[in-house]
Amino acid sequence: MKHIFTAGVLASALTTVMAAVPAYAQEIRVDGFPPFDTHFDKQVPIFNETSPDITVTYQMNSHGDHHKLLTTNLATQSGAGDVVIVDVSFIGAFINEGGFVNLSEAPYGAEEFKDGFVPYAWSQGQGADGNQYGMPIDIGPGVMYYRRDVLDSVGGDIDAIISDWEAYIDYGRQLKEQGVYLIADAGDVARILVRTTLEDGEGLFFDAEGNSLVTSDRFVNAFTLAKQIRDEGLDAQIGAWTGEWYDGFKNGTVATQLSGAWLLGHMQNWMAPDTAGLWGASNLPGGIFGSWGGSFLAIPAQSENPEAAWEFIKYLTTEQGPQIDSLRDLGAFPVLTSTYGDPAFDEPIDFLAGQQARQLFAEVAQRVPAVTPMDGDLIAEDVVMNGALAEVLNDGKDIMEALQDAERLLLRRVR
Amino acid sequence: MTTLDTQEPELRVTIPRKRTRSFPRLGKFATHAFMIVGLLVTIFPFAWVALMATHSRTEIYSSPPPFWIGDNLTENYIKLLEVMPFWTVLFNSLWVAVAGTVGAVLFCSMCAYGFFAYDFKGKNVIFGIMIASMMVPPVLGLIPFFLTVQFLGLLDTHLAIWLPGIANAFGIFLIRQYMMQSISRDLLDAAKVDGASEFRIFWSVVLPLIKPALATLAIVMFIGLWNNFLTPLIVLSSPDKYVLTLALRSVQSLANSPWGAIMLGTFLSMLPLLIAFLFFSRQMMAGLTAGAVKG
Amino acid sequence: MAITPHDPVGQSPHGPETASEKPRRVRGHAARRRWIKTLTPWLFISPFIIIFSVFTAFPLVFSGYLSFQEWNPVAGLSSMEFVGWDNYALALDDPWMWKSLYNTAWLAIVSGIPQHLIAIPVAYLLVTAVRSGVRQFYTATFFVPFITSTVAISLIFYTIYSGNSGILNQWLVAISKWPVFSSFLGWVEEAMPIRWLNSSDLIKPSIAFVVIWKYTGFNIVIYSAGFLTVSKDLYDAAKVDGCNAWQQFWNIALPMIRPFAFFAVTLTIIGNLQMFEEPFVLTSGNSGGVGQSGLTASYYLYLVGWEWLEMGAAAAISWVLFLFIAIVTAVHFYFNGKKGLGGDR
Repeated sequence: MKHIFTAGVLASALTTVMAAVPAYAQEIRVDGFPPFDTHFDKQVPIFNETSPDITVTYQMNSHGDHHKLLTTNLATQSGAGDVVIVDVSFIGAFINEGGFVNLSEAPYGAEEFKDGFVPYAWSQGQGADGNQYGMPIDIGPGVMYYRRDVLDSVGGDIDAIISDWEAYIDYGRQLKEQGVYLIADAGDVARILVRTTLEDGEGLFFDAEGNSLVTSDRFVNAFTLAKQIRDEGLDAQIGAWTGEWYDGFKNGTVATQLSGAWLLGHMQNWMAPDTAGLWGASNLPGGIFGSWGGSFLAIPAQSENPEAAWEFIKYLTTEQGPQIDSLRDLGAFPVLTSTYGDPAFDEPIDFLAGQQARQLFAEVAQRVPAVTPMDGDLIAEDVVMNGALAEVLNDGKDIMEALQDAERLLLRRVR
Repeated sequence: MTTLDTQEPELRVTIPRKRTRSFPRLGKFATHAFMIVGLLVTIFPFAWVALMATHSRTEIYSSPPPFWIGDNLTENYIKLLEVMPFWTVLFNSLWVAVAGTVGAVLFCSMCAYGFFAYDFKGKNVIFGIMIASMMVPPVLGLIPFFLTVQFLGLLDTHLAIWLPGIANAFGIFLIRQYMMQSISRDLLDAAKVDGASEFRIFWSVVLPLIKPALATLAIVMFIGLWNNFLTPLIVLSSPDKYVLTLALRSVQSLANSPWGAIMLGTFLSMLPLLIAFLFFSRQMMAGLTAGAVKG
Repeated sequence: MAITPHDPVGQSPHGPETASEKPRRVRGHAARRRWIKTLTPWLFISPFIIIFSVFTAFPLVFSGYLSFQEWNPVAGLSSMEFVGWDNYALALDDPWMWKSLYNTAWLAIVSGIPQHLIAIPVAYLLVTAVRSGVRQFYTATFFVPFITSTVAISLIFYTIYSGNSGILNQWLVAISKWPVFSSFLGWVEEAMPIRWLNSSDLIKPSIAFVVIWKYTGFNIVIYSAGFLTVSKDLYDAAKVDGCNAWQQFWNIALPMIRPFAFFAVTLTIIGNLQMFEEPFVLTSGNSGGVGQSGLTASYYLYLVGWEWLEMGAAAAISWVLFLFIAIVTAVHFYFNGKKGLGGDR
């Protein structure tokens, strides 16, 4: 009797509780990598003001680990979060394999937001079938950061230096006499040139029919230029994200750095905070427009709460509030062109000697060419841009020979 | 067990007298000089991590790197607790490592005894498979391992991390080799004649004699489980179940990591290993008086 | 299960027995004993068999199956496509594969042999010539590299090896200026900055040093455990016979630790041929460093499987590597196994 009574009380209590919670209360988990946790710490409470019925948790792993875990989860079709963050370097390999929800379809209707996005980022999140699988959340428009004091010491003019690559290298020669390096790693020049000098419809490494472009003039020219810089001793031969790299920024021994806009935040926060006011930002040399990095949000097909997930994605990517917050808090550049009119973009940046650099970033963002992602891009990236380039620069291997070897390997692996 | 009581004194080796007698003074000096050089080379990273735990990220990455104690220790500690529930994950790591180590010491020695003390059909085949299983590169096992764990319903449990290691080829091989060296077959026969059960022989006669090997295995297992990273990565999903390696890595990114806090966490995470090592190596060295049977 | 030798049933039969019953009981008893005898070893090794079948066997079968498929893991399990021996043909025809096998063998030898050449005498000295308290201290210190996390290792060795400001280069320059060394180290300043991790000739030795540094302490522990089994009486007897310290080491101690040496060498062979973490970290995961000089076979199959997302091809590479390791280990067992495994007992 007692048990029945207890059960009855419990049951009625449960009904009361359940009645209080809306029927569509849902819980979603976001899988990603730092520093997105900092972003979510702030954004989830704001999101919950308008969508109180969606509980958001997040699981963070380091960048590489996150993508490995995601690969395992997609392979086994279980264990992934409802929203996953995908880095731009993986997006091409991931979106065409059917593991993600097609966001162009009802009930999501991503297409209605298309015009608000930076065009190149939007197309990176597009599958080969023309449907949208990844929503861009941030981008990295490419600029050149340069030391103003070093520039002044040789009486240079920044517009002249970036007018073409020959002028850029000339500047390096002048610097060499003073014991200053033009750039940390000559490889950066080849990497960005390959990415920016392509024709419409071309992939990075393959044309529309899947033929290799690795031995084309685009690669030869890019490699040649990088090799020239290396051979003349104009670069410091320093890899990114090392102690030496940070030192170059601090001491002014390296005059320029080609990078995404986001580097600014790192330089002023911890890499070289003491050099505030000594830096400037400009377009990339030779009139090219490129980008470094960028992230996307996608919903794994295995998610049980895709609609709640979509609500959160929509909030993060299509609303101005979180986009501008992420610019201010993380230095992650917004994907929404409508945000570019925000007063935040007119703010002078002290670290860059008062330059209104965000306007420059925004202008670059809208001019970056769209590159069609292809199968095999990941392999080509390793084989050509890591393998062959390093052999050319460090071991003095002949450019054409290195590219042909890389192409042979590539064709063997890409089927 | 009367037999054991009468036999044990015979097993004991006369306790060594002064061990240094055979080495002349110069040799002793050279020995220590040699050891100290080795010591400096090996202790360096540990000292380095300790040092870096007191510095800020900017200082860690300056060059030349700071060679003296910084003043960021408190800040790093506060930051560490901010980015992860450090003591919870430390406790999780401890639990996983202890459970797995105890399991491995028990079950590996059991299996090793099976291979050591008996001749049976298929023994060599199974032993061969065991050795061969060590040769398969582990890199690709992740996906099928995930499927297995999922099938067993062990996702997001600590059990899935330590259970697979409790009867591992390495441990069985190590202990079998030690038994080979230190346990004479006469001893087993004597115990059998005395009517001891098979398990009793293993438990009361053999195990006490292989303490150094058990301690060695315990060291290696403890460290392996403590530093294990890939299994926790794919198995665990609740942050309050994370182990140290996973928690420390999950806050790292190329650019934004709180390196001072990570160095402090790394340093603190190495301390239990050192303590475990000292504890077990004492057991290992203690084998000197208890073991040393076969000559 | 009543599987103890003290099973009372056979020993104290209760109830009256007829003449015809008795032999059968005895036979039953004997059969039971035989059965127990056959079963006992299996019971002892059952933990291995269970754990192996649950956690190891399936992954092995899976990767065997996978090596005949073309599979991008991101597309899910159902997307596998049978390609026969293609993956193997591809692996054997792949220059990076051969390069990586060469690197693996090179690194295994250069980083493997010194580990033992250092560990054996050090362990011997620790056991015989150092007081036990001090020995504890030394052993613990030598063991420190083995417990150091990969993150710390990469950070530390980047600082040591870096070209412009690395500690190693600074020391080299400083040493070369000493009068004693300057005659034959004069080239050092010319050669600066030496890029230890950024030139194809130096990557492998730089990695090998880290591996030696990390695993020697582990081997010292194994060998210490070995030397501790050698009875003091043996040394005393040898001393009576007039053996000096060297002879005691060479003729008494060394032969006694053969099973340990066999174990340690087997582990080094298998472990070194699977070397992954150190080259991966020291080349920043950058496809094996300049000219793939630091690309080991395990590293390559990681690259193919997890970065290029060609799991089938990676599985084939992993079996080729397995075969390679198995052959080397088999040769080692053939020459050393008889004594090492104790087959001569």
